[in-house]
Amino acid sequence: MLNKLKGMVGLLAMLMSCTGFALPNVEHWQLSNGANVYFVPTTGLPILDVQLMFDAGSAHDGSQLGQAALTSALLDESAGGLTAQQVAENIESVGAQLSTSASRDFSSITYRSLTDEKVLATAWPVFINVVNSPDFSSTDFNRLKQRILLSIKQREESPGTLAQLALYEQIYEGHPYKNPIQGTEKTVTELNVEDVRRYYQQYYVGKNLTVVMVGGVTRQAAEKLVNDLVGKLKTGVKAAQIPAVLDRSEALQLHKDYPSQQTHLLYATPVLKHNDPDYFALHVGNHILGGSGFSSRIVKEIREERGLAYSAYSYFNAMRQKGPFLLGLQTKNERVAEASTALKETLKTFITEGPTEEELLASKKNIRGGFALKLDSNKKLMSVISGIVVSGRSLDYLNNYLQNINDVTLASIKDAFQRRVDMEKMVMVTVGNSDIKK
Amino acid sequence: MPILLWLRLTRNKMRKLSAIVLILSFIYSLSGFASEPRNANMVHEKVLKNGLKVLVKEDNRAPVMVSQVWYKVGASYEHDGITGLSHVLEHMMFQGTDNLEPGEFSKIIAANGGRENAFTGADYTAYFQTMEASRLEVSMRLESERMQHLKLQEKEFVKELQVVMEERRMRTEDKPQSQTYEYFKALAYTSSPYRNPIIGWMQDLEDMKLDDLADWYKQWYAPNNATLVVVGDVKAENVFALAEKYFGPIPNVKFKPVKQREEVPQLGVRRAVVKQEAKVPYLLMGYKVPVLNSADKEDDVYALEVLSGILSGGSSARLPSNLVRGQQVASSVSAGYDLNARLETLFLFDGMPTKQHTVDDLEKAIKTEIESLKKTLITAKELEKIKAQVIASSVYEKDSSFYQAMQLGMLETVGVGWQKEASYVDKVKAVTAVQIRVVAQKYLIDDHLTVVHMQPQTTVTNAKENQHAE
Repeated sequence: MLNKLKGMVGLLAMLMSCTGFALPNVEHWQLSNGANVYFVPTTGLPILDVQLMFDAGSAHDGSQLGQAALTSALLDESAGGLTAQQVAENIESVGAQLSTSASRDFSSITYRSLTDEKVLATAWPVFINVVNSPDFSSTDFNRLKQRILLSIKQREESPGTLAQLALYEQIYEGHPYKNPIQGTEKTVTELNVEDVRRYYQQYYVGKNLTVVMVGGVTRQAAEKLVNDLVGKLKTGVKAAQIPAVLDRSEALQLHKDYPSQQTHLLYATPVLKHNDPDYFALHVGNHILGGSGFSSRIVKEIREERGLAYSAYSYFNAMRQKGPFLLGLQTKNERVAEASTALKETLKTFITEGPTEEELLASKKNIRGGFALKLDSNKKLMSVISGIVVSGRSLDYLNNYLQNINDVTLASIKDAFQRRVDMEKMVMVTVGNSDIKK
Repeated sequence: MPILLWLRLTRNKMRKLSAIVLILSFIYSLSGFASEPRNANMVHEKVLKNGLKVLVKEDNRAPVMVSQVWYKVGASYEHDGITGLSHVLEHMMFQGTDNLEPGEFSKIIAANGGRENAFTGADYTAYFQTMEASRLEVSMRLESERMQHLKLQEKEFVKELQVVMEERRMRTEDKPQSQTYEYFKALAYTSSPYRNPIIGWMQDLEDMKLDDLADWYKQWYAPNNATLVVVGDVKAENVFALAEKYFGPIPNVKFKPVKQREEVPQLGVRRAVVKQEAKVPYLLMGYKVPVLNSADKEDDVYALEVLSGILSGGSSARLPSNLVRGQQVASSVSAGYDLNARLETLFLFDGMPTKQHTVDDLEKAIKTEIESLKKTLITAKELEKIKAQVIASSVYEKDSSFYQAMQLGMLETVGVGWQKEASYVDKVKAVTAVQIRVVAQKYLIDDHLTVVHMQPQTTVTNAKENQHAE
């Protein structure tokens, strides 16, 4: 069996070289301010994609929740003396795109434009201003603060969002991951423009920065562009490490009443850190359990067998510190108890018995056969490379990827799930017009 | 956040309301850059003897391909009492054929490393697989099987219908803005089938029978009502040969002509309030406008397309500039227009007011913007910006073979014809400021307007919490 598998990997590799599919060639260098740059030259399309990732996620908010998100949202408003209108105007006048986002671990700025010189001559200086000299004007600040407050209020319209927030609050009790990225009504109301300025000064520095560039420019051009863009950022001090997540001592079931027709159910526990040694076993295992749509057990049990839900899934979200292993579904209120039992039972059986030989084979075939699909556009390349570098994996990760998948065994999956997923400590949250315990 | 959301799209996200912003985010771009080699864009077409149209675009940037089968049937082909039928049938297409067990289709695609799904819109039902390019034959074999040998079984139907009802609860019943949009469409259209939701009314889902599906399948699933689109690292001759092999033997079907079901003229503004369990008020406005399919109005249609860009094509467009940043009456606001709809459609506005303002204020502010478009010509700079955005976006689109296939399949299926895709950029570039003023005056008028204000209700008492350790 093993020989046959290896043969197939070889075949795929051959096929790839025949059709000219090459793994991306990632070039890495460091700027004098400590910023790490990863560049993937591409041919074919005159497009340049750039992502800047700062260690400036909401986990660094301290008591001022929402700080990271508000800072990030303000970057592409007025900057370097240009009004917010002028920033948008200049970027859009050449069809470029610029956006910012914040997660618990990172704050990112994403840029896309054509590689044409005239385009870059207009858009790049604006991008430079956004990164190096955001104005944080009080007009922009107040407007965005109001907008975030409204969206915090709007969270109350969505049982799914409420469930997610309640879940994080429980599984990350005592840890900064427990807080909503946007903050709460109280904390955001209390933020002032000086908080945001300070946050920017402290965290948007070379030592916290990873740059990923993908596109149709030469290495020489890429170096110049990057230098102009982030070379003048202060070196700064590296963000403090996010504290380790503490294990819960017991399981918990939490219900929130909400006047919806469906109950949203989430079942989770913190498990996976970036670049975790159990990654491949857990990844392939989850593919079988609930990560591969129709072929996965959870979809079979919840949707195909019982017609309980439209969407049922499980995933491992790797983060700087243990990210959640999460199972989720939503079903009409009357059937939530049945769904909950079926979901727990599916997980329990999987942990106890592990997958079958047939399931393992099928999932490896799917992952192997789908490998090329992960890298078939510049957009996807950028997201894959970003994922690799911020998680601290080595640059030959993709070269060894298929081998690592291949090395996963029935025993390694069972072992990893048994060691890492403890149902006695998992939290279940339900939000809807039904109480499981009634 | 959900990594794998389990999708069987109910509506094509790129085109409908929640998607206004998405539609417009496709418009980007730059001037002085139109020198993309033309043949990179070449579409090969072949029509098989049984009427199946095959479209191929070769793109060898990566050794992958996307294969899509589009059927000319969707929610707008349905009538009262059977709404949601096209979408439920789409679900059933994964539940077994004469030669495949329920779920086996998906299992084979998965074993070949593929990704697959399907979506139903008002004007089409489409199925797709994305795979490593050498697996094309697998997808052809399976799609040809379910084009002719679907086996509709009661057990699977009962279960799948429950799944679709859960889908409806998730997408509509428990989403205040989506449900408001449903009421909005039902108010805006009188005789047009666009008044019904794509996923169907809950009562119609409850009343649905297996026989209804069997009839619907027989009526619409045939090679002469379908288009096969393949984009990727393939050779056109090879795709044609495989299509001949697998789809060639399927007999065509005689169709009765599709009923026109034109919308009757609107004779005055329509207004409604929709109360929802929500926290933030929401505004929807829509004006009746023509689409590309109404061939005699092509110039107007492209002018309306540019007009939507002027209002909402990015953060520097008029609505965000004037209403979000300037007057701060909107927390968010957008405009959008689906020129590729099969039937007359709506030029839509939606938005949420800031805390200091009401939905009324927001409606007034939007109308002031519209009035200004009727009175004053847009500036050359604004026009140039839209055109630059469209040119750049035509390059960005090439980064996604899936998107390219979508465009071809959709244009062909709604009746516009895939050839229009190639002329889009030039048509947009030809639009003038005067034309934009003319279409604003002609179409954005009160008599053709529908307005819905969503009013949040707070009947909920404070959420009760209940937790205990086990």
